[in-house]
Amino acid sequence: MTPSSHEDTASRAIREILGDEAPGRAARGPGGEWYVPVEESGFDRAIRELAARKFVLISLFGTEGFAQESRFSLLYVFERKEGILVLVRAVADGRATSIATIFPSASWPERECRDGFGIEFAGAFDTRRLLLHEPYQKDFHPLKKEFANAPVATNDDVPAAEEYQFRAMTGEGVYQVAVGPVHAGIIEPGHFRFSVIGETVFNLEIRMFYTHRGIEKLAEGKLPGDCVKVAEAVSGDESVANAVAFCMAVERISGITVPDRAWFIRTILAELERCCSHLGDQAGMLTDVAFALGASQFSVLREEVFRKNAELTGSRFLRGMTCIGGVTRDIPKDRLADLAEFVGQLKKRFRVGLSIVLSTPSVIDRFSTTGVVKRELLRPLNITGPVARASGGRIDVRLDHPYGVYDRFVPSHTPLDDGDVLARFTVKAQEFLDSLDLIERLIAAIPEGAVLSTEPVRDGYALALVESARGQNLCWVKIKDGKIDRYKVRTASYCNWLAIEHAVPGNILADFPVINKSMNLSYAGTDM
Amino acid sequence: MVNAFSCLVKRKVTEEHPVRSEEIERLGAEIKREIDARFGKSLAIRELDAGSDNAAEIEVNNLSNAIYDVERFGITFVASPRHADLLLVTGAVTHNMEIAVKKTYDAMPSPKFVVAVGDDACDGGIYKGTYAVIGGVDKVLPVDLKIPGNPPAPKDILAGLLALMRNEK
Repeated sequence: MTPSSHEDTASRAIREILGDEAPGRAARGPGGEWYVPVEESGFDRAIRELAARKFVLISLFGTEGFAQESRFSLLYVFERKEGILVLVRAVADGRATSIATIFPSASWPERECRDGFGIEFAGAFDTRRLLLHEPYQKDFHPLKKEFANAPVATNDDVPAAEEYQFRAMTGEGVYQVAVGPVHAGIIEPGHFRFSVIGETVFNLEIRMFYTHRGIEKLAEGKLPGDCVKVAEAVSGDESVANAVAFCMAVERISGITVPDRAWFIRTILAELERCCSHLGDQAGMLTDVAFALGASQFSVLREEVFRKNAELTGSRFLRGMTCIGGVTRDIPKDRLADLAEFVGQLKKRFRVGLSIVLSTPSVIDRFSTTGVVKRELLRPLNITGPVARASGGRIDVRLDHPYGVYDRFVPSHTPLDDGDVLARFTVKAQEFLDSLDLIERLIAAIPEGAVLSTEPVRDGYALALVESARGQNLCWVKIKDGKIDRYKVRTASYCNWLAIEHAVPGNILADFPVINKSMNLSYAGTDM
Repeated sequence: MVNAFSCLVKRKVTEEHPVRSEEIERLGAEIKREIDARFGKSLAIRELDAGSDNAAEIEVNNLSNAIYDVERFGITFVASPRHADLLLVTGAVTHNMEIAVKKTYDAMPSPKFVVAVGDDACDGGIYKGTYAVIGGVDKVLPVDLKIPGNPPAPKDILAGLLALMRNEK
């Protein structure tokens, strides 16, 4: 993948914001992203200019030892179609300025940087802990290099005054419903605090990070090849997406050319993963409106896809296939022919299930106008994936920043505008069928040849974006002395969790599960 | 008009599923026998995610799809730990989940069993000895059985449950 040579939106913005100094200061990374160092004096202006130019803040993270002049740097990653721009800001004595009032999608990452590196953000509207809950010691900042990744002592007895404070909602007839972290179903842990009047929710606050496993610290010091396993563990049902993103970043850093056949196989696996995820969502949404007959149609198909995954790769979650330089194993011709036939069958049976659902008025009644995500939220919160595409967002990494073979095998989309559960159900159904089409086309056109490049890994840093089943997944990798120095990973769920706080108010409490399932956000992929 | 006689002579309204696995049917029949003998015909399971990557949850959820449909064998997944005979724990226990894990276990009536599902739950897996996790489930709760795998497939989980019941005299 070579970035196009014409001036993209990012480089034009850099020229307009920095003026004549731009050429000497901006540097282009191996993934086509621009790195622009900014001083404290020009920082506010740059942020406002980027906001005015409709850039979206897709990630903000800290790193140690990136620049000469300061121990810590903050990297602000801004994106627009065709361009990615990374503002690099030195952190002087652990202080920075909050930009969360201009870019609300900065609020969580700023709290994350405070937990991880101890950086304080002046002017932040929310300074509560995020990753590290109350049991962790106050002065513990695991992402600093001075902290070794070893077991730590925690406070078993947190005083009441130091407990996490939820936003207090008061008024006549208002009551709170506290749900979680352990939920009634078989589902990951998180806490939801509903403020309810009668049956109607008028505020929802979520608290996450119960499954914070320290993925980013875990990667540090590992050999890049050993770190693929860590990427696969970010979120089980996004194993392929996160492994491909990680390997892509390493390949960009090292200038490794992945053989074409390997990219075809990776893409087939990524689309299979999307199919599994969407089938699970269809089944889950129908379960949550008590339509078991419809749900079983999709859960049965999903089980068959899982079994097909195991036949193809030895893993129901397609683990252990993606590696730096390509894939670990080739998939023989007869297996691929068999997969093509299976995909053809799947399409027919999926349509049968879909027609059962769409001809059941009680289901449509529950789905329609439920849990609306408004279009104007998309940019400030960086909402992504099918959730955005059901609210009129025309965004997809596969189209906006094509990687692998997506420049030749283009997904065909039909975004919807309603933004309710029905729109998300429909978008996912269309994407499922579209993924099956893609798989068929890939199998028909797959070239012969090697599936692994053995070029060596080099030092450096790069950004990679991929489209997982849930939307845009980002990772930034820095390799130093042949080992991972920083592995920043941010999944689509991390962005979309905040959308649910806006989608639920105005709905009845009983609709929360179906709204939640229609977005299908990964807790593990958020908490890391 | 439905009566006992009509049930005998009428054709079934359900259809046979194309993916039928003899191995699962055999495992299920054995489990059902053990559950009938030891758990008064029903085994109530409370699943608990102590910090997993969600793959194991998906496999536990799959036990309830129409292909496995483990309710046939007397296994039910319950919402409240107060209703549970067995706690099925996935993931290495994180510091952020420690209190919730202990409270869930404490809420269960005795006798109670704990089964760790997946490599991370068995011994901490790739998170062993790191800052964010305490370790495998046995660092926090008394574990009766470990089912390894990354993640274990539904049939491995069933085989594990069968082994647990055969060991409990």
